[in-house]
Amino acid sequence: MELETLELGPLKIRNKLAIRLFSAVDDRLGVKEILQDEMFEKIVPAHLTFWACFGGISFFIFICQIVTGALLMIYYEPSIMKAHSSVARIMNDVPFGWLIRGVHAWGSNLMIITILIHMTKIFVTGIYKAPRELNWVVGVTLFLLTLGMSFTGYLLPWTQLAYWATVVGTETPAAMPVVGEHLRYFLRGGEDIGQITLTRFFAIHVMILPLILASIVGLHLVQIRRQGISGPM
Amino acid sequence: MSSTLADNLNLDTRRRFLGMSAAFFSAIGAAMMVIPIFQYLWPRQESAGEGGARSMKFPAGEVPIGDAKFIRFLNKPAVVIRPNEQELVALSVVCTHLGCVVKWDEKSNELRCPCHGARFDTSGTVLGGPAPAPLPSFSARIEDEYIIIEEV
Ligand code: FES
Repeated sequence: MELETLELGPLKIRNKLAIRLFSAVDDRLGVKEILQDEMFEKIVPAHLTFWACFGGISFFIFICQIVTGALLMIYYEPSIMKAHSSVARIMNDVPFGWLIRGVHAWGSNLMIITILIHMTKIFVTGIYKAPRELNWVVGVTLFLLTLGMSFTGYLLPWTQLAYWATVVGTETPAAMPVVGEHLRYFLRGGEDIGQITLTRFFAIHVMILPLILASIVGLHLVQIRRQGISGPM
Repeated sequence: MSSTLADNLNLDTRRRFLGMSAAFFSAIGAAMMVIPIFQYLWPRQESAGEGGARSMKFPAGEVPIGDAKFIRFLNKPAVVIRPNEQELVALSVVCTHLGCVVKWDEKSNELRCPCHGARFDTSGTVLGGPAPAPLPSFSARIEDEYIIIEEV
């Protein structure tokens, strides 16, 4: 028997084709139940304020970073001869390149700010306490990974600022006893900062960290769903 | 009463044995993958940089009096300065604060770091800024129209 209207939370779908397509998927995977429970009829506690939005805002910026980052990769060339000129090309010649790069660069700063607000909120209101300690640990890991993204992304335009910031940034861990010097050597890919460093940072920035970050973000969200939103203070 | 096939095979211990061997060999396999990956990632020696020699020599004409020449010595950037007739100094130019390369300022005859403003005199002594230690200096002398720099 075919449904006349399909009700999905507030949505009422009457289009025959849409209903048949949805039912075809639903019959096989039972998505309606999931959508009802997890989205349309999910009850959000009334005590939530604007401050509870910053985790979500950080997540939204993360998605923007992935999209703009993928677009930047189309024109960026990770070589010390071409990195700076390719970034200049994105900024000056590619249509809306300034916008894409602007969103990416400003987004990275903004993401750190929103994450810090999010963490402060969680900390001050004591949401990190049992049973959510593990998610706090996961969250701090996410913050450190985001800092790693900022650090590796900063070198890529290969400007004076980028270069010397990376000199200083890779010199800092060298102050650690025993492993410090080796760590600096490993990070730089040699004694100095050069092509090898740029290529390493590029790989870390566009592939290694995003994959790790995205999977841990998933873990973060799954935990929130399992534990629910914490009660009022 | 005859025992069943399952009893004879003792499935429980077999399953445990198989499980443990699988875990053991997977662990060995994983560990064996770590070594090549680590070696792949570890920077190779030739990328360490040139200029690893303990002493170097070049024509004195390359550094006129009142001028400086930036070189690579002991795998690090260094400078040879001749502020006047008599003086000849060779110093590391890696700032002792956080590793930026300091510049020689001709007018004040000082070395200045562009990163956080550390200042050094031509003997390497800290004049100001955040640098915690003097710049390492090397022995430099002129012999038969050649400048010779050696590690002290
Ligand atoms: S690195 Fe030279 S002053 Fe900081």
